[in-house]
Amino acid sequence: MSKRFPTNGRVIFHVDMNSFYASVEAAYNPDLKGKPLAIAGNPEQRKGIIITSSYEARAKGVKTTMPLWQAKELCPGLRVLTPNFDRYREASSQMFQILAEITPFVQPVSIDEGYMDITECAELGTPVEIAEMIQQKIKNELDLPCSIGIAPNKFLAKMASDMKKPMGITVLRKRELPTKLWPMPINEMYGVGEKTADKLRKIDINTIGDLAKADSYHLKHLLGINGERLQNRANGYDPRPVDPEAVSDFKSIGNSQTLPYDTTDEREIEALLHSLSEKVAERMKRKSVVSENIQVMIRYHDRKTITRSNQLHDYVELSEDIFHIASTLFFANWNGKPIRLLGVTAQHLTEKEEMTKQLDLFTYENEAKNEKLYDVVSQLSDKYGKNIFKKNKSYENKSSVSTSFQKDFLDDYKTKKKK
Amino acid sequence: MKFVIQRNQLMESVQDVMKAISSKTTIPILSGMKLEATTDGVKLTGSDSDISIESFIPTEENGIVFVENIEPGSIILQAKYFPEIVRKLPEQTVEIESDEQFNVTIRSGSAEFNLNGQDPQEYPQLPKLHTENSFELPIDLLKDLIRQTVFAVSTSETRPILTGVNMVLRDEKLHFVATDSHRLASRTIPMSDITSEVTFKNIVIPGKSLNELNKILEDSQDKIEISVTENQILFRTKHLYFLSRLLDGNYPETSRLIPEQSKTNVVIDAKELLHSIDRASLLAKESRNNVVKLMTKDGHTIEISSNSPEVGKVLDEVKVDSIEGEELKISFSAKYMMDALKAINTEKVKILFTGAMRPFIIKPGSEEEEILQLILPVRTY
Repeated sequence: MSKRFPTNGRVIFHVDMNSFYASVEAAYNPDLKGKPLAIAGNPEQRKGIIITSSYEARAKGVKTTMPLWQAKELCPGLRVLTPNFDRYREASSQMFQILAEITPFVQPVSIDEGYMDITECAELGTPVEIAEMIQQKIKNELDLPCSIGIAPNKFLAKMASDMKKPMGITVLRKRELPTKLWPMPINEMYGVGEKTADKLRKIDINTIGDLAKADSYHLKHLLGINGERLQNRANGYDPRPVDPEAVSDFKSIGNSQTLPYDTTDEREIEALLHSLSEKVAERMKRKSVVSENIQVMIRYHDRKTITRSNQLHDYVELSEDIFHIASTLFFANWNGKPIRLLGVTAQHLTEKEEMTKQLDLFTYENEAKNEKLYDVVSQLSDKYGKNIFKKNKSYENKSSVSTSFQKDFLDDYKTKKKK
Repeated sequence: MKFVIQRNQLMESVQDVMKAISSKTTIPILSGMKLEATTDGVKLTGSDSDISIESFIPTEENGIVFVENIEPGSIILQAKYFPEIVRKLPEQTVEIESDEQFNVTIRSGSAEFNLNGQDPQEYPQLPKLHTENSFELPIDLLKDLIRQTVFAVSTSETRPILTGVNMVLRDEKLHFVATDSHRLASRTIPMSDITSEVTFKNIVIPGKSLNELNKILEDSQDKIEISVTENQILFRTKHLYFLSRLLDGNYPETSRLIPEQSKTNVVIDAKELLHSIDRASLLAKESRNNVVKLMTKDGHTIEISSNSPEVGKVLDEVKVDSIEGEELKISFSAKYMMDALKAINTEKVKILFTGAMRPFIIKPGSEEEEILQLILPVRTY
């Protein structure tokens, strides 16, 4: 046993890719290296905002979510690219495979970060040596930078990976909390958003240290159960295990998109529902799931938001079916006022592999009539890749980026891992 | 009423008649069993108003005396106690006697039971069928017809008509068809000796009735007479009278649902296939609705497999006699397949597939018997 490994307790890594999308683009096109680079939505539209940027751009003050025009003002030489999600997914999948070579206890949390539990990996070296090995490998093989936090639990590892960027390796020990963690402002604590930070500041909690020492009764009163959880973390306590299966615990797949301007134009609304349905169907297909419940979200010009869902008697997976249900739901619930944002979500998902449907003598023709089509689609998809089939779109908006909490890429990594 | 009867004969008849008696009947008198003694013998009757069964024990048959000392009369006995009493009596002969107050005495050797009976006048008259619509069949054959079809009736009341077996007599052929809409079982026999006036179409016999009838009938070459009226069917042998109501409603036309052409034909040893499916279903039973997958491998092998992510997987290769036509991957319920193979019960079976989402047919390897089992596959995604 290496003496650097604790005799009790765990060793958790948090691996965080540095400005991931921009780094992937720079790896694809080395000309972009060392230059200010930003990935942004459609520059023509009002929602053209910075999704991510390179460190060179950040040095000039460019920030994520900043409108594009403002970023260009701050950084005149800024190169702007629209996102290539396929590239990012591919890079992400390769990155997680590198992590999986070290230990099976890898828990991806988003496209560019994940936790590892390397407690059982002492024979590979000290924790710092293993971290260096991972970082070098990702750099050499994928030409991508990452930061790694090393700590006894997930929360501290996450905080540690944030302390040195890019290409940092930071060890955060429990005994170092008073010097390294506690002086940090409360809003930099993972799990504390703007609203929570505001609430905490109102009761004079301005640093993580303040939170650690705050009155727990008072905190619970203010933030509920989450207050207790945050305080535990501030004290270096986080019992969550690294769970490699956490990825598959998805419950829904949804996409939403803000319209370029508030609208009541039914054709435009239908077109957007159609494209959202297609995106949802596409993501469902990638995860090989079917849904039994479709939900639409309507946000009006005044930000008033409603969601309505329809419990189905049958599984749906095709964008046409999803669109049909979504638009029926929409028109049954729309109050006619201008709409700012629409969302379509497929809920109650079942993995196709796990699901079966006993055909019925009196209705099987419904399924059987599409049998040839299903066959051809699956054969050609096997041969030419999954994107060859696209329904004719009435609403072509390729450059747009709809918002989704996408964890699908993780499944790509998972399926590859299985093989 | 009074008579002395052989216990074995009585026991047998009691058991048969009990098949029609339900303790949950809405008509109280029907929870009893009717005993009726005439100079010809003793008749037992039970009914739950859906099924009525009469079993007759003659005074003597082939020179063997079954009933003696007959004083004609009748009585209703509590069906709850009577069968067990008869079963446990000590001697081979039983004396049963009833008085004017419907008190019943059952004596056998040292044992004497006194039971309260009921007035036989209160027992409903069983309808006597008057019909020209009747035909005869060897009992063995009827039992085959039942056994090969009745398991496929629906157990769900969502489409009540499917809880019965459709009996069709047409073009000198008798067809039995049952389906729960996920599988279909059919058996056809030639009826060349029948008068052409007798035809039935929409006769649907409750599956439960046929199951009970099948239990009561003993394998025999003797004939059974089948008579049909508007809403009842009667099966009659020498000593048995089995009456069942028919199901109301139109049975769906199933003949055109059966594919006439096939794309993949497999001839295979029925036992080997049955055992292979049985093995594959070991893992599929709980987690995957008992779904197994069949895949053609090459000219002489099929692969039976099942994969339950939480449990594990099983893969089994079975040699076939022949495979003709297209390659195929198809999933289906192991239970339905095993039921079908057991019903066919021949050495070889022929399986005719028309695609992974269309019904497939299982037939005996030789065509002489007209049995057809059809199974709807399971769609996997």
